[in-house]
Amino acid sequence: MATTTATITITSADIADNSLSISNTMTLTTAGTGTGITETTGLARKKIASATEVDLITVANTDVTAAKSAKVFIRNTSTAADKWALIGVGEATATPIYIGRLYGGDWMLIPWDANANEDITIKMNDATETIIEYMVFFE
Amino acid sequence: MATTTATITLTSSDLLTDSLALSATATLNKVGTTTGLDSIQYERLEVATGDVYDMIDATAAGANKANKIYIANKATNAAHYIDVYIAALAIGRLYAGDWAFFPLEAAAATQDVGLEAIGGAQVVEFALIHEGKTLVAS
Repeated sequence: MATTTATITITSADIADNSLSISNTMTLTTAGTGTGITETTGLARKKIASATEVDLITVANTDVTAAKSAKVFIRNTSTAADKWALIGVGEATATPIYIGRLYGGDWMLIPWDANANEDITIKMNDATETIIEYMVFFE
Repeated sequence: MATTTATITLTSSDLLTDSLALSATATLNKVGTTTGLDSIQYERLEVATGDVYDMIDATAAGANKANKIYIANKATNAAHYIDVYIAALAIGRLYAGDWAFFPLEAAAATQDVGLEAIGGAQVVEFALIHEGKTLVAS
């Protein structure tokens, strides 16, 4: 088994009168166990130069076991504050459930059920080439 | 304006042949700007079993913004998990000790963020970092 950890730190000195400091570390394990996840897509980089909604990660093209403890990391590497990537779950050819917009420099980490037709979709706000990074941890 | 940052560090010395050491920091800004998000809701609550409960109610005021959500499952029983819903779709499971961080589109009033505890009631912490919301009149 492997040991993989993900740590988040959210800090602000001025969003409230008192400082905000949230820190949390999780160990990525298989569903319902303390056994570390042993599979990953590795870190991928994809150039997207279209505003058409497409699949970023297609369930059928992965070995992710559905309804387990998979995690997906996605990052918009753009440095432009107004360059967003709308991330969803579902079919790019239909209407996915939208999670939210990653603006330039934003990242996200979500659990992913990866049931049939629950692809990770992406739609950029324009056709300017943008590099999106992503990585899936799964069993 | 406020300055709030969110940093992720992903590490492993044995998942791959070479070590994994990924780090990314986002400064949490309002839509399309470099002006920081300046409002926050930070709570700790217990989620009961048996139903999907709304943790964040989507509102028109929050739609299509750059709001961010942090959710942590504080359970310690490895078999327990929280199903995270957006609208009627369970997007994934947060097992005991897991956390998630993502932007919230809330494109429609039906796109609430819901939680369902599986295996037992579980304590969850969440933070919504946002650019303001419409208060409900009493």
